Amino acid sequence: MSFIAVILNEIQLLARPALLNIYFAAAAIPVGFVLAIFLALGKASHNRLITALSRGYIYFFRGSPFFIQLFAFYSFVLTLNMSVWRPLGIDWLILHPLFLGPAILTLNTTAYTAEILYGALATVPRGEVEAARAFGMTQAQRFRSIVWPHVIRIAWPAYTNEVVFLFHATALIYFTLPVIGGQQDLMNKAGELFERDYNVFLHYSVAALYFLAISLVIFYAFGLVYRHLMRHMPQAAPAKFSMRRFMT
Amino acid sequence: MKKLILAAATLLAFTGVAEAQVRLGSEGAYPPYNYIDESGNLGGFDIDVGNEICERAGLECEWVVNDWDTIIPNLLAGNYDAIIAGMSITEERQQTIDFSQDYFPSDPSTYVALSGHSIDFDTLSGLRIGAQGATIQAAYLEQNLAADNTILTYTTPDQAIADLQAGNIDLILADKSYLAETVAGSGGALTLAGPDVEIGGGVGIGMRKTDAELRGHFDTALTAMKEDGTLDELIALYFPEREGGPFYTAE
Amino acid sequence: MLDLLPQWMRDGIGDDVAFWIGYFTNGKHLAWYASVQFTLFAGLFGACVALALGLLAAAARNGGPWPVRFVAAGYINIVRGVPDVLFFLFFPLAFEQAVEWLWATQVCTPESIAANPNPWPPCIEANWRLSTVEYLIMASVSLGIVYGAFTANVISGALLAVPRGQLEAARAFGMSRMQVLWRVHVRQMWIYALPGLSNVWMLLVKATALLSLLQILDFVTLAQRLGAANYSAIAGLVHEDWRWRYYLVLLIFYILVTFVSEKAFAALNRRVRRGMPILDGNAA
Repeated sequence: MSFIAVILNEIQLLARPALLNIYFAAAAIPVGFVLAIFLALGKASHNRLITALSRGYIYFFRGSPFFIQLFAFYSFVLTLNMSVWRPLGIDWLILHPLFLGPAILTLNTTAYTAEILYGALATVPRGEVEAARAFGMTQAQRFRSIVWPHVIRIAWPAYTNEVVFLFHATALIYFTLPVIGGQQDLMNKAGELFERDYNVFLHYSVAALYFLAISLVIFYAFGLVYRHLMRHMPQAAPAKFSMRRFMT
Repeated sequence: MKKLILAAATLLAFTGVAEAQVRLGSEGAYPPYNYIDESGNLGGFDIDVGNEICERAGLECEWVVNDWDTIIPNLLAGNYDAIIAGMSITEERQQTIDFSQDYFPSDPSTYVALSGHSIDFDTLSGLRIGAQGATIQAAYLEQNLAADNTILTYTTPDQAIADLQAGNIDLILADKSYLAETVAGSGGALTLAGPDVEIGGGVGIGMRKTDAELRGHFDTALTAMKEDGTLDELIALYFPEREGGPFYTAE
Repeated sequence: MLDLLPQWMRDGIGDDVAFWIGYFTNGKHLAWYASVQFTLFAGLFGACVALALGLLAAAARNGGPWPVRFVAAGYINIVRGVPDVLFFLFFPLAFEQAVEWLWATQVCTPESIAANPNPWPPCIEANWRLSTVEYLIMASVSLGIVYGAFTANVISGALLAVPRGQLEAARAFGMSRMQVLWRVHVRQMWIYALPGLSNVWMLLVKATALLSLLQILDFVTLAQRLGAANYSAIAGLVHEDWRWRYYLVLLIFYILVTFVSEKAFAALNRRVRRGMPILDGNAA
């Protein structure tokens, strides 16, 4: 087989496994984002208990490796099977890797995203919030009109990075959870192909290419959203193409 | 540049020659074949057999722990010279590695389930069945039972047992020798279930195909161990549940 | 280790407690506690490699001829797009194969190549045996390479934050470009770099949890082996699946490491900012 044909064949073999990684990320991102908003607000709250709990949650999930979190939560959820999940009738769902993987990933990303949102919350201009209060806006109205637009714009670049990290973290899920029915994600499939012919350069490079390509797509898509969010700001002149861009 | 490479190569070669050892690889998570004992060292039937062989063959042996799913690739990559890890002799494996003669008699596979849980073995369907990944049992399940049942694979056998006990799976398919000891030690929580399934021949020592000399050493030592009853003693020691011994002496 | 206690003490604490003390200090557990050294070594050595590569890449990206800048930018951007797990698995294998291939060109004769039915290495003489030490060093280097890219980003940003006036003054004094770089620019850069570097350190330390993937009997693997359900009396204590307890210990361990690192970096930050009038939103 020619070089190009080999690479194309490899790309085709790894396509379905890549969908599994994308599924894990796509399942965790929206839920994580919504929960993170509540967690960030909790961390910034005036209630001592809620603040302490939020801080504790964020510290726990940011301070330990995701790899270990996967093992720990799977074991813990497993021991609760007979006593909790079975009686509730949801054991088929809870213990399924397609649910549990994104669930643990969500717990993890909630903490990181909440930290980012919390940092952005601190930069909201006080003056605007006070003015809104003076106008008689309720808390919900203040949040929707003043706080949230500011937070999302400040947090978006850091959040983009977090989403890319989350996508990379999906590579770890099938190292730790039991594999059902021979489903394989990118890492499993690349590993299996490697064990057949020891060509580490081919299989892992193409898997890396998938990760790189999807990361670039995430960067681009989130960049478009950022441009949309910042459309009210004075625009920089459209960049003209120049080789300089690749050299710095 | 060429001289630099030669110098580096000689240096590396020296580190190789200075050892002059045989390295034996094992999993360390498959009692009573191999496990990490209370003092933190590898122990078990495989380790005793390996040490006995090395003593008889006059080889200096060192043990290496390696996870099951990369145990054959790392043998071929040269991290160790032989696999003594309760590995069944199968035709598929013989395509990539060579085996010594068997050092444990042919072992059928069977199922284990939670006590009190009755399974209909005539029509195995709609069940969740587990096995360790990259084993002959996992391959058997994928080929024969995957259509009607959900097959789960785990990195180590104890993870499958843990899932069985927690009720996540209904059955595990594994070597009968391993399951018999596990069931005996479980104090009634687990029971052997279902028919015996013949997959694979006896348990042998895996080696690279190029290591004919090493294979000769192993085979000579194993034959001696079989004849003077050492091997049967070890089997009786580690596998008290195994019926039908002695297997190798009285011939 | 229970036998290190005097008999009167052993009588005093009772059989149950004595049993558990004995269990948690048996050889397997002691090996587990001692395996922390692998994590710490990988973390520290990886951090050194990451710092060195980061400095190099950042310096190359900001100054230097365009091929060098291209390579540095490529390194930084590509590594950001690849998961650390993948690189962690890829690098030791790739490095081993590269070394064996080079060695094979010197050592392999056509006969020995023909005699070897294995796909790799080409002949059995060109085989490099890897054991725990080699894997540990390669793991640290691969961590260093991955996190070196992040470090390079942080250092690049910090290099840009140093007030230009200082560099111009140094040039005006007649210092060469390299002297300006290493004596003034890099020295002043640390203040701006430390917060970002502490972030990269946290990521790196957490990535050391992956050592078990390279067949090293590290903190994580031994915790799994210890927690695993065991029904073979000959192998040790018979017990059910205790894994979640051991994983909890792992989680607490890493959180402690994070906690200590935070304190250490805060102290380092305070020291580095002695006498500096810069404000960064918090009081100087």
